[in-house]
Amino acid sequence: MSITDIQITEKLTHGDDHHDDHQEQSFIFKYIFSTDHKTIAKQFLITGIFWAILGGGLSVLFRLQLGFPDMDMGFLQPFLGDWISNSGKLDPEFYLAMITMHGTIMVFFVLTAGLSGTFSNYLIPLQLGARDMASGFMNLLSYWFFFLSSIIMFISMFLSTGPASGGWTIYPPLSALPQAMSGSGMGMTLWLVSMVFFIASTLLGGINYITTVINLRTEGMTFRRMPLTIWAFFITAVLGLLSFPVLVACVLLLVFDRSFGTSFYLSEIFIGGEALPNLGGSPILFQHLFWFLGHPEVYIVILPALGITSEVISTNSRKPIFGYTAMIGSILAIAFLSFIVWAHHMFITGMNPFLGSIFMFLTLIIAIPSAVKAFNYITTLWKGNLVFTPAMLFSIGLVSFFISGGLTGLFLGNAAIDINLHDTYFVVAHFHLVMGSAAFFGLLAGVYHWFPKMFGRMMDEKLGYIHFWLTFVGVYLVFFPLHYIGIAGFPRRYYSFTNFDAFSSFVDLNSFVTVAAFITFGAQFIFLFNFFYNIFKGKKAPINPWNSNTLEWTTPRVPEHGNWPGEIPKVYRWPYDYSKPGAKDDFIPQTIPYHKTEESNTDFENEEGKKERFDN
Amino acid sequence: MNNTAIIFAKRNLKLKSVNAKKFALWLFIVSICMLFAGLTSAYIVKKSDGRWLEFEMPDMFLYSTLVLILSSITMHWTYSKAKDNSLKAVKIGITGTAIIALAFFYMQYLAWIELVAEDVFFVGNPSGSFVYVFSGLHLAHLIGGLVFLLVIFLDTINYKVHSKNMLTIEMCTTYWHFLGVLWIYLYLFLVMNN
Amino acid sequence: MLNVIIIIAAILILVILFAIFRVSSLVDVIKGDSSNKIPSSNGLQANLLLLFLIIGLIGGFYYSFGGLEEDFVLPVASKHGVITDNLFWWTMAITGIVFIVTQIFLFGFSWKYQHRENQVAYFYPHNNKLEMVWTIIPAIVLAALVFTGWKAWIDITRESPEGSEVIEIMGYQYAWSVRYPGADNVLGNYDYLKIDATNQMGIDFSDRASFDDFIPREIHVPKGKPVRFNIRARDVIHSVYQPHFRLQMNAVPGMPTQFWFEPTKTTEEMRVETGNPDFQYELVCNKICGQGHFAMRYIIVVDELEDYNEWFKSQEPWLKQNADYLTEVPEKLREVASITVGIENEVWSNVQKGLTNSSSK
Repeated sequence: MSITDIQITEKLTHGDDHHDDHQEQSFIFKYIFSTDHKTIAKQFLITGIFWAILGGGLSVLFRLQLGFPDMDMGFLQPFLGDWISNSGKLDPEFYLAMITMHGTIMVFFVLTAGLSGTFSNYLIPLQLGARDMASGFMNLLSYWFFFLSSIIMFISMFLSTGPASGGWTIYPPLSALPQAMSGSGMGMTLWLVSMVFFIASTLLGGINYITTVINLRTEGMTFRRMPLTIWAFFITAVLGLLSFPVLVACVLLLVFDRSFGTSFYLSEIFIGGEALPNLGGSPILFQHLFWFLGHPEVYIVILPALGITSEVISTNSRKPIFGYTAMIGSILAIAFLSFIVWAHHMFITGMNPFLGSIFMFLTLIIAIPSAVKAFNYITTLWKGNLVFTPAMLFSIGLVSFFISGGLTGLFLGNAAIDINLHDTYFVVAHFHLVMGSAAFFGLLAGVYHWFPKMFGRMMDEKLGYIHFWLTFVGVYLVFFPLHYIGIAGFPRRYYSFTNFDAFSSFVDLNSFVTVAAFITFGAQFIFLFNFFYNIFKGKKAPINPWNSNTLEWTTPRVPEHGNWPGEIPKVYRWPYDYSKPGAKDDFIPQTIPYHKTEESNTDFENEEGKKERFDN
Repeated sequence: MNNTAIIFAKRNLKLKSVNAKKFALWLFIVSICMLFAGLTSAYIVKKSDGRWLEFEMPDMFLYSTLVLILSSITMHWTYSKAKDNSLKAVKIGITGTAIIALAFFYMQYLAWIELVAEDVFFVGNPSGSFVYVFSGLHLAHLIGGLVFLLVIFLDTINYKVHSKNMLTIEMCTTYWHFLGVLWIYLYLFLVMNN
Repeated sequence: MLNVIIIIAAILILVILFAIFRVSSLVDVIKGDSSNKIPSSNGLQANLLLLFLIIGLIGGFYYSFGGLEEDFVLPVASKHGVITDNLFWWTMAITGIVFIVTQIFLFGFSWKYQHRENQVAYFYPHNNKLEMVWTIIPAIVLAALVFTGWKAWIDITRESPEGSEVIEIMGYQYAWSVRYPGADNVLGNYDYLKIDATNQMGIDFSDRASFDDFIPREIHVPKGKPVRFNIRARDVIHSVYQPHFRLQMNAVPGMPTQFWFEPTKTTEEMRVETGNPDFQYELVCNKICGQGHFAMRYIIVVDELEDYNEWFKSQEPWLKQNADYLTEVPEKLREVASITVGIENEVWSNVQKGLTNSSSK
C-alpha cells in the first residue's frame, strides 16, 4: 500500500458527504498530466486509436499497390508529395517505408501500448480493489514517454529521406547503412530514439503493474481469486520487464554501429562502391538479440487479449470460465516457453542447423498450452446461455482467429517446412491472424465491454454488430487468401510481382484482398463514430450492465479519483460464480460473502462462510 | 481490542513486509540485470563466432573494482549511521561515497587509456568494443546512483533521513550495492572469458 | 467540378446515415425496455454465426480444391522438396481436421447455446480428466510432427555429399552473381577488399584455384546430381529462394552460408509439365534488402547431365575475359595462370605493356 493510497483515504474521509471535493484539480492536471490510472488508460486508448487509424491507413495504401499495380496513384500526390512519381507510381522505397511503419506502429504502438497500456492501467486497480496504481507518477511518466516516442515516430514519417524502411525487424546491415537505403539515415535514427522512449515507457508501466498486483490487492483478493484478465496483464508485464531490456542492449549496439563505427553487426561489407572497414561483426547476433525480445513481444501482444476474452466469454456465457487453473497454468507455460523459442524466426539465416533442431522442438511445445486455451474457451461456450453483446462477438472472433492462425504456426515452427514458407505470404497470413487480428479483436472486445465503466455511457449495439460483421468477415477475406499466395511462394515485402513469371498469377486474388482490406478498414470508421459519439451522447450506463462479478462493477457509474467513494470492498470468492446451482441470480459478485449464499454453497464454501462470520 | 483493530494490525504488518517503492526498485534492478545478461550473452555468442581479438585486460580494472567495493562499505556505514540518527555522519558518509565513486570513474577512464595503449579501441574488433560498452554502460548506471546520492544528501539536510524514515536511504544503499555486484560480475566475466 | 460533386454526395450520404442512426436509436428508446440486458437481436447474431460457419467452410473447400483459377501448389523439382511437401501435406491434413472440428464446435456451440429465457447455463468450472486429454493428445500429435520434421531437417542440412557440384552465389543490391569453380573444380578464395567495378565478386587471384573460375550470366545445374550453393552477400542480407526447389537460405555479409539440393526435373521437363513453353526456374530474393528487393531475378537452368557438362566446358574463365587482372596474380604464378586460362601471349604482353606505361607515368 503506497503513500498515495493513504493520502487518498485521508482526503476521502475529510471530504465528508461531498467526496468530490478533492477533485478540484485544474483541467491540465485532471485530463493531461493526470496521475489517475483511469485517465491514463483513456489517454493510452485514444493515442492507440490514433495510431491504429494511421497504421491501418498505411496498410490500405500499400494494399492498393499490391492489388492494383497498374493504378494511377496521382490522386495521392497532395498527401504523399514526391513519393508518388509524376507518372502516378508509388516509390518502391516508400512502399518499404510504409510496411515498416505499419509493422512498427501496429506491434508496438497499437497492440502493446494501446492494448496493454489501456487495459492494464484501467483494470488492474479496478479489478483488484486498489485506489490507484502503486505509483501514479511513474504511470504518468509511462504515458508521457509513450507520447514523446509517438511524436518522434510521427515526425520521422515526414522526413524527406523517409522514415525507417528496413522492415519492423530492422535487420542490420540494411538498417545500419544509410548507403543501403535512404530510410536508414535520419529515419532510422529517429526510429531508434523513439524506441528508446517507448521501452522506457513500457518498463515504467510494467514495473508499476507488477508492483500493484503484488502489493495492492484488496482484502481477500488472493492470487487464486484474481480474474484472468489480471493474470494475463501481470504475466505480460513480467514478460515485458524481462525482454525489453534485451531490446535495449540490441538497439544500443546498433546505435554504436551506426553512429560510432563499431563492428558488432557489420563485417566484410562492400557498398556504394567502397569497402567498409568493419570486420568481425555478425548480423546474426542482432537477430538473436532482437528475437529474444521479438518473440516474447508476440505474447505481450496476445496475452492481454486472451485475458480480456476469458473475462468477456465467461460473463456472456453466464458460465464460469472452464479450467481456471489450467488457464493460469497455460499463461505461465506460454510465458516461460516464449523465452526459449526465439530462434525459430531464424531457421534459414545460416544459424547452426543443430540449434534449429532444438528450437523446433521447443517451438512446437508452445502449441500445447495454446491449444489448451482454445479448447477451454470452446468448452466455456458449451451449455452456456450465451448473450451476444458486441464484446462477446469480438471474443468469439478472437478465438476463431487464434485457432486459424495458431494452426498455421505448426507449419512454420517445423524447420523443414519453414524452408519453403519462410518470409512468404504464408507467414504474413499466419501472424496477422494469430497475433494481429486476434489481439486487435481483444482490444475491441475490451473497449465494447468496459466502455460503460470508462465513460459511464453505453455504446450503440447495432453499430457494434455492423462493425463486428464487416470486420470479422473482412479480416478472414483478407488473410485467408494470403495462405494460398504464400503456399505458391510469393515473397513478402515485394513492391510488385510483375518481375517474375512464377508470381505473375493470382492477380485477381490480390485485387480481391485489397478490396476486402478497404471494406475492413472502412468498417473501423463505424466504430470510431460509435466510440466518440457515445462518449458524449450515449445512453447512460447502468452500474453493472453485463451482470458481471468483478470488482470494477461495484464502483459508481463514473468512478472518481480513488475509485470507491467509501471503503474498498472486500473479496470473498473467485470471479466466475456464474449460474451457480441454487443461486437465485445467475451471477454472484466477488463481494458477496459465502455466508450470505448458503443456498448455493458447497460444503467447503460453507466452512469458509463460518470463518467469515467469525472474522466479522 | 476489537476486530477492526486486529485487521489494522495485520495490515500494518503487511505494509512493513513489502513496500511498493522498494519492490519497484527491485523490479528495476531485474530489468538492468536483463540488459547486462543480454549484452554478456551477445559477447559469448560473438566470441564463439570466431574472428575474435584476444588481449590483456587492464590491471586498472582490478584496482577500480577494489575501490568500488570500498564505496559499498562506506555506503553501508552511512546507512547504519542513519539508523543511529547521526545525521552529520550520514552527510560525511554520502560525500565520501560520492568522492570514492568519482575516483572509480577516473580509474575506469585510466583503464580505457590502458586499453588504447594496447591498441584496443572502441571502434574495431567487437571483443574490444564490448569491454568499452560494458564499463561505459555500468558508469552510466553509476551516474544514476550519484544522482540518488545527491537526493538523499539533500533529504538529510532537510532532516528527512532518520531512523524513522529509512526508505530512501535503504533504497539507495540497495541500488549502490547492486551496482557494485554488477561491476564485479562484469569484471569477472571479462577476465574469465579472456 | 466532379470532385466537388463527389464530396457533396459523400457528405449527403453521411448525413443520411447519421439521420437513420438517430431515428433508430430514438425508436429504441421509445420501444426499449432498458432493464432487459439481452440484446434484441441475440438470436439473429447466433444465426449469423452459424451462417458464417457454413459459408466459410464451403468457401474454404471450394477454393482449396480447385475453385481458384490458378494452382497454388507449385510443382516440386528437387529431391528434398518431395519430403518437405509430404510433411507439409501431412501437417495440412492434421491441422485441417483440427481446424474444421474446432471451428464447428466454436460456432456451433455459439448457435446452439444462444440465450433463451428460462435456460440456465451449466455450472462447469473444470474437469481434470478432459483437460489432461487435450493436453496429452496434442502433445503426442506434435511429437510425431516434430520428429518427422526433425529427421527431414537434419537430412536436408547435413554436409553436401562428395562430388556435389559447388556453385557460389553472391547477392548484392540488386542482383545476383554466380561463380563456378572451373576445370579444377575448386572455387578460389575471395576477399571483399578486392571488389571493384569489374571484379564484382572480389575474386582473389593470389589463389591458384581462382584462375579458371568462371562467372556465367545464368545458373546451370545438372539434373540428378547434388548441387551445393555456397552463399554469401556483399552489402546487406539477401535470401536465396527458389520455390520450385523448395530451397531457401539467407545470404549474409561476412558469414558464408550454404544449401545443397538435388534437382529432379530439367527446365524442358518443367515446360512440358506446366504447359508453359517459357517456363524458367527463377531465383528470388526473399529478405528485404532495399528498393530493388522485388526485382532480383536470376535464371536457373536445369540441364541433363551431359548437356550440363558440355555447357560447363564451353565457359570461359573470368580471368581470360578480363586479362587485366593478371596483374593481381603474384608474379611467379602469372605464367601458370595465363597457360591454365589460355590467355594468348599477345594479349598478355599488351597487358604488360600497359602496366609498364602506367607505372612510368
